[in-house]
Amino acid sequence: MKEDENILERAIKAIRNEQIPAGPSQDLVDATVTKLSETQEQSGAASSGGVISLVDRVEAIRSIARFAAAAVLLIVFGYAVGRFSAPRPPDIEELQAALEPAIRRNVVAQLGSDLQAGLATCYDQLSDELSRQQRRDMAQFAVQTLSASSSITNELLAELIEAIDAAQTQDRQWFTAALGQMEAERMRESAAFASFAVRTEEELQGIAQFLSYGMPEDSRVYEFENSDNPDERREK
Amino acid sequence: MQVIDWRMIIEKHGPAVWQTAYRLLGNRADAADCFQETFVSALKFSRDRKVRNFSALLTRFATARSIDQLRRRFRRASLGSTQADSSAVASTNPGPLQVVQQQELTDRLRDSLSKLPSREAEAFCLRYLNDMSYKQIADELGITTNATGVLIHRARAKLREFFELSVKENM
Repeated sequence: MKEDENILERAIKAIRNEQIPAGPSQDLVDATVTKLSETQEQSGAASSGGVISLVDRVEAIRSIARFAAAAVLLIVFGYAVGRFSAPRPPDIEELQAALEPAIRRNVVAQLGSDLQAGLATCYDQLSDELSRQQRRDMAQFAVQTLSASSSITNELLAELIEAIDAAQTQDRQWFTAALGQMEAERMRESAAFASFAVRTEEELQGIAQFLSYGMPEDSRVYEFENSDNPDERREK
Repeated sequence: MQVIDWRMIIEKHGPAVWQTAYRLLGNRADAADCFQETFVSALKFSRDRKVRNFSALLTRFATARSIDQLRRRFRRASLGSTQADSSAVASTNPGPLQVVQQQELTDRLRDSLSKLPSREAEAFCLRYLNDMSYKQIADELGITTNATGVLIHRARAKLREFFELSVKENM
């Protein structure tokens, strides 16, 4: 791009620095002056050829007059047509009779619409007022109901607490009795176990004595050695 | 109606018109045609409107007619068959290679100018070949200064593209 720009600049410079022969020559100047004169003459001839002759003027005036007459006729004709086709002036009573029902209807419709609008406005105001009043009453009623219900609720709660306390006391009594019974049972069973143990021990001792009587000495010793009974080991 | 001494106008502004036309066209015959067309255009213009600045007006007309001529020329012939007046570029200072290169550059620029839209080519030439300010160009073309800037910018961009294309074609 820069190269093109440089070429363009060089071209401009070259064309500007191009040697131009001195001129114009006198012949060219004379020829140009002659040509200009001819052109002026031609244009002069053309303008002199454009002079309007008397006949043309008369003809032009006649055509203008014809045009003016036609225009006047047209205007007159238009005026006459307008005049005859124009509507007659209206009869006031007839007009009144014609307009009255329409006006009456319009007035009634207008009044009706105004009344409707007024009623609609009143209805809106009333409904607003009533809704406000209703809300106020409802709020008051709610406050009263709440205050009344709170006292009843308190009483019911007290009764409930008492009932719960009584039930808990009864449960505790039952539980204590059951525990006592279970303890008694346990004591009875432990006594039974103790007597059973004593009896078992005695029986075992009896068995041991019986075995010691019936067996030889070395055998008895062997028997006692393998015994788990501490009393027997003590005797040994 | 404005009374104009055309001989005096030609003698006063003729050299500038000639330079403008010759610089763009590069040969004597086309420049002479363009010279005459420029003054005829100025004469027609002066019939309808009062001319305040003949120098700028003639420069603009010379540029416009030259671009028209360039466009006609390059429509007729290809770039190779240029009708440039080689004797006109002869100079004692530069070498032959440089002369040929410069000749090629000027031909390429003329070719590119002939492909630009008229307004853009006109604005470009008035700015870079005739050293007119943006304000003067805007006054002459009857547009705003900003629009002039836009025209010149577009012309430069398009010329760059043309040059790029021609370089690629030559490669």
